[in-house]
Amino acid sequence: MILRLEAKKCRRTGFFPAVLLAACAASAFPILNMLVRAETFTAMAGAPFDILTDANWQMMAMLNILLAVCGACLLYHTEFADNGMQKMDVLPVRAGSLFFGKFVLLMLALFGVLFLETAVLGACAAHWFSAYDWSPQDLLASVGFQWAITFPTVMLMLVIASACKNMWVSLGIGVILVFTTTVFPQGSLGLQLCPFSAPYQTLAAVQSAGKVPLFLGVCAAETVVFGLCELIYLKVRRRFA
Amino acid sequence: MNMIETQNLCKSYGNFAAVSDLNLHIRKGRVYGFLGPNGAGKSTTMKLFLGLTQPTSGSFQIDGMQYPADRVAILKEIGSFIEAPAFYGNLSGEENLEIIRQILGLPKSSVSDALELVGLTQFRKRAAKKYSLGMKQRLGLAGALLGQPPILILDEPTNGLDPVGIHEIRTLIRSLPQQYDCTVLVSSHLLAEVELMADDIGILNHGRLLFEGTANDLKIRAHDAGYSTDNLEEIFLSMIDEDNRKRGAER
Repeated sequence: MILRLEAKKCRRTGFFPAVLLAACAASAFPILNMLVRAETFTAMAGAPFDILTDANWQMMAMLNILLAVCGACLLYHTEFADNGMQKMDVLPVRAGSLFFGKFVLLMLALFGVLFLETAVLGACAAHWFSAYDWSPQDLLASVGFQWAITFPTVMLMLVIASACKNMWVSLGIGVILVFTTTVFPQGSLGLQLCPFSAPYQTLAAVQSAGKVPLFLGVCAAETVVFGLCELIYLKVRRRFA
Repeated sequence: MNMIETQNLCKSYGNFAAVSDLNLHIRKGRVYGFLGPNGAGKSTTMKLFLGLTQPTSGSFQIDGMQYPADRVAILKEIGSFIEAPAFYGNLSGEENLEIIRQILGLPKSSVSDALELVGLTQFRKRAAKKYSLGMKQRLGLAGALLGQPPILILDEPTNGLDPVGIHEIRTLIRSLPQQYDCTVLVSSHLLAEVELMADDIGILNHGRLLFEGTANDLKIRAHDAGYSTDNLEEIFLSMIDEDNRKRGAER
């Protein structure tokens, strides 16, 4: 029920068009790249899907993270703009449930986006690389991995958005975090595992380093920790209201 | 039987006591008018009942349930409207009420009933952010009245309404205990309005309850104290003035 309510609250906010726009923009990137530089990539040695992912994922992941930032800000702006949240506070529904409803909604939207992006990468590989062996399982594994390592970023961004009444503050913090992670060297494993940085990793790269369980485990732990932080924050906010 | 009862309820913000040793007794099936000047602690008291803010000390029970242990169960029984209308501006009036309906698990017809009750039926499809102040106020009231809850907490519900709207809402509030067997706690600074709709009156000043009882009790008390008893406004002003003088002398 909460998920349906959260989806209903998003009507006419621009949330769903934003998701669609981000999905289209990120999916168009590998197509444009191949249209312009097909020879460069087809001449490379290696698995076609991995070549395309290596070449395009940094930009696609950044668009995905920006979508998570904008989505979280929009979801909470709707709550704060006309005191909708205050109405929810006096209804028999837990504030934590509403937060996790938003999290699930944003994660489902991102799953759709990642699915489309991966399908486009697969289609590009099939179209431009004659040797490409289409494997739905591999594509789904890639979608699943990318989705799982996005969890802490979305959770943290929602925590930030829930704490800022002014949407521009949470949006500013989110954008700063997006660009801060790109400044740090990507070689450090510790930094790779951080929210806002993890979604840049690709399954092929992590698999070759043998760190898939580590990434999944750490991202799951980060998600739980940020979720608990939100629950504590909600209790503190109520206590000091 | 008391529907809402408080025992030495206090709420302080630092050194400032917004509510001080409040002992309220709101009887079932009555309209309780909560009077007080701005900053007297009326809204704070109502927020305490709804769990929007935590008491510094003291306790209260609503319909026999204890806060904070039964907070969610208490909220199921209360329809509320606090300070300003709270809604989702991107949604229509009907969609706003639909959200509340789903949370409360009410039948679908309750939304149209509530819209009809506050006179918003013809504007139900319009985005709430495009409503006038009076319409927003009515939407807030519709949200409170949805499903005919046994307890209604209304903080200055006629703010922003025109004289016709004030009359309609006052008549509606007056009729609620008979129609739906509910208890109403309503605050207002419009004294004549409270006089017309309330069965019981509580007067609050600087967080302290100066009087609690029926309008007749108030007149008797005013007469005994030597105040003018021509109308409620005179009595109210005299009580507040005397309390303020006493406080000044104490300092």
